[in-house]
Amino acid sequence: MDQLDILKKEWDTQKAYPSYSKEQLKSMLALKSTSIVKWLLIIAIIEFVVLTAINFLPGMSKYHGESIRIMGEVFYYGSYIVHYIVIAYFIFLFYSNYKRIQATQPTRSLMKNILRTRKTMKWYIWYNLAYIFILGIAVSIVMLFKDPKMIEMMQSETVANHQVMFYTIYILFTILVFGVMLSILYGIYSLIYGILLRRLRFNYEELKRMEV
Amino acid sequence: MQKDLEKEFVQQLEENQNIVHKICRLYTNDADSHNDLFQEVTIQLWRAYPKFRGDSKFSTWMYRVALNTAITLYRKKKRRVDTASYEQIEFKATEQDYDDETNEQLTLLYSAVKQLNDIEKALVFLYLENKNYKEISKTLGISEVNARVKMNRVKTKLTNIINP
Repeated sequence: MDQLDILKKEWDTQKAYPSYSKEQLKSMLALKSTSIVKWLLIIAIIEFVVLTAINFLPGMSKYHGESIRIMGEVFYYGSYIVHYIVIAYFIFLFYSNYKRIQATQPTRSLMKNILRTRKTMKWYIWYNLAYIFILGIAVSIVMLFKDPKMIEMMQSETVANHQVMFYTIYILFTILVFGVMLSILYGIYSLIYGILLRRLRFNYEELKRMEV
Repeated sequence: MQKDLEKEFVQQLEENQNIVHKICRLYTNDADSHNDLFQEVTIQLWRAYPKFRGDSKFSTWMYRVALNTAITLYRKKKRRVDTASYEQIEFKATEQDYDDETNEQLTLLYSAVKQLNDIEKALVFLYLENKNYKEISKTLGISEVNARVKMNRVKTKLTNIINP
């Protein structure tokens, strides 16, 4: 008999906890959950609302009109349609992921499903950041050639002699600005998820290690 | 219908609440967190209850949901509470029920198990609750062989903690 088995006898006899009455238990049923899953859901909704709302900010309609003029209707609406099809697919993935998360399943599957949800959210963020990045750069480049203000500037005396240098600086600067902006956004997301899922990830790794 | 279900659930929970308390005690360090975790377990149990078909015992089903909540779903809140005070309060309440020696051994056991990580705690808890390796492996979602191997390692670890 080992140490634990000796102590097990004590374990079996314990029963002294301040137990809750039926009324107290019943009132707990009405309380709101604060589980990780709920937080993930809240963050997913915030992500979705914020990333969609950017398009509908006041003042954006002016920008939209100008974009259509510069980019052409096909490119402009085409990119929107593709974007919303992808987002609809993500919403479907989120929904099926959440349906799969149930507290009654074995611990390891539960963790796997939560991490899968996290992965979908990560892809959603990556997709949005890539979309903003690619579209932003594409628009900036198109603007170089189609925006009357730009064309006017390119033809001005100071720039006309250094066109190649101007293009290079312009494109590099655009990439840099978008790069920094998106890195900050990604950093914030990673921090939020890092804090939220640190313990879960650690426990999942521990379970995984046992299976090796 | 809902009222009947609620009544039935509360009845079963009241009878088996000791299981949840033991888990809360292992996974938290102060009375507030204990209550928080207990509430979250209750919410998760109630949420899953409509799908509980009674093909397993209520207590068996409860182990799984309660441990999942403690290990996976529960978010520890940051509190500035002196953790030592909790143990003292707990044991003051139990003094009438145990003689000093038993009390001391139980304290020793709890403080040793608390030094383990979340998964090891779950293994030891299920072991202390007389669950066989088949049930342990099913609850945690690992193979029976691995549960056994890991349990043996944890036992050695615990012995080393208790008898350094």
